[in-house]
Amino acid sequence: MAPPVAPATPPDDALDGDAERPRPRGLAADTGQLLIEGVRAFRGLFDVALRTVYWSLKGRREKGVVLEQAFEIGNKSVFFLTVTQGFIGMILVFQSGLQARRVVPDLTMLGATFLELLVRDLAATLASMMLATRVGAGIAAEIGSMVVTEQVDALRMCGVDPVDWLVVPRFLASVVMTGVLIFYAGAIAYFAGGATAWAVFDVQPQTYLNARLLDIGDVSIGLAKCVAYGAAIPIVSGWCGLSARGGSEGVGIATTQAVVFSSLAVIILNLVISGVGFVLFPV
Amino acid sequence: MSQASEREGLSAETGRAILDLAAEVGGVAMLAGRLLRRLAPPRLDGPELARNLHRMGVKSLPIVGVTALFTGGIMVIQAGVLIRRFGAEGLLGWGAGFATLREVGPILIALMFSGRVGANNTAELGTMTVTEQIAALETLAIDPLSYLILPRCIAMVVMLFMLTVYGDVLALAGSALMGQALLGVSVATFFNGFLETIRVWDLATGLIKSVLYGVIIALSSCHFGLTVTGGAPGVGRAVNTSVVASATGIFVTDYFSTYLLG
Repeated sequence: MAPPVAPATPPDDALDGDAERPRPRGLAADTGQLLIEGVRAFRGLFDVALRTVYWSLKGRREKGVVLEQAFEIGNKSVFFLTVTQGFIGMILVFQSGLQARRVVPDLTMLGATFLELLVRDLAATLASMMLATRVGAGIAAEIGSMVVTEQVDALRMCGVDPVDWLVVPRFLASVVMTGVLIFYAGAIAYFAGGATAWAVFDVQPQTYLNARLLDIGDVSIGLAKCVAYGAAIPIVSGWCGLSARGGSEGVGIATTQAVVFSSLAVIILNLVISGVGFVLFPV
Repeated sequence: MSQASEREGLSAETGRAILDLAAEVGGVAMLAGRLLRRLAPPRLDGPELARNLHRMGVKSLPIVGVTALFTGGIMVIQAGVLIRRFGAEGLLGWGAGFATLREVGPILIALMFSGRVGANNTAELGTMTVTEQIAALETLAIDPLSYLILPRCIAMVVMLFMLTVYGDVLALAGSALMGQALLGVSVATFFNGFLETIRVWDLATGLIKSVLYGVIIALSSCHFGLTVTGGAPGVGRAVNTSVVASATGIFVTDYFSTYLLG
């Protein structure tokens, strides 16, 4: 028999548990609480996702709101992505070149393999991890501060669904801009890698620029990832922002959770899409 | 960051951005210097250090575990394409293990750690700053750097290192399981290939990098937390800036350490 479940305590947020020492409880109570909170959180997320999709199809938006968010999400991420993706492209080619030299002597396929890997996985996933950090934190910080300053309650009083007003424009902008940014980031990584291959391993550009290994499977997996990540990041971080509680501390916690959960969403979606793609498009 | 009230010329904006960047980098360097001075004869709060080690490290175990397991699985799927093309099952342990230990494991775990612990640290210090708790500490003649900041920085560096060890193990387990499930490569084959090709240095480079990432996350999250202005929205913005700065720093460091460590 499991011991009776402890009475509901306030939800344990990310890094607390040091304000006062938690009373030791049974394992069953802990597990149960974790489960209940998990289910509740998942239902909240699902609710936000459903309403986002519903309002995207049905709602009407003021002119320019989506464009404004697209600027915020897209243009302002360009510098960040250029730096991180440029470096990651150089690192990946450097590492894989070193390794490949240990096993096979010639590096003629380096560019083609790297391009395939970028299209299949790395361009979309790495850029989205970066966007989950920058865009996700931004969305949660913005919506979270609106929640704690009761602006969201004011929206509800006016009969406006905050998901429609706040999350949907970011969702639409993110779906478009994430796709665009992933193309851009992939190109940056590819050419930075090409420069490294030329400088370090003496691989000529005409050898490096080789798309022979690309096939329809790679491209469709890559595109599916673009759309999935672009949709997941604003929904997850919008949900985190809307569940902010308390003052500036609450905003901080919501922002933290947005970064963690949207990165996690990217990783989980990556595994799912890669796995399905691997089965659907056998090599 | 200053807000440009009216539209300025491109050169003015570029200059302002560069000055802002230089100011932040300088701020981080100053913070690092002041923390190092407090290390020489160690002046830090012991209980605070223990508490931070626990809540930054132990409580990150689930999220790091999930990340590592999934990452290991993903690496196998990506390596699987090449394995099938060349028909070399024995190379799976090499392909997945090498990438995980040297690059992907440390980077992804550091990014997750920056998201969970670094961002949270910025949020906490930021809240303390805007509610003037840090100023109150100074008024009480308690040095906030040795009481508050140094234990956090040390805890982050130590714990990211240990979490990377833990994450590496789980990522390899994830790779082995995924290889069995998806490619039909037995766990024994996987680990044989792994043990034959991976040298201790591969593991060591990854771990050295994780220490560097820990330093970057610690410094940038503390710096941006201590320089918050402007209430709750300011805290949100600071968290955002801090995670962006950490991620940029991680990738730049990764590049140079890969070159230097070989």
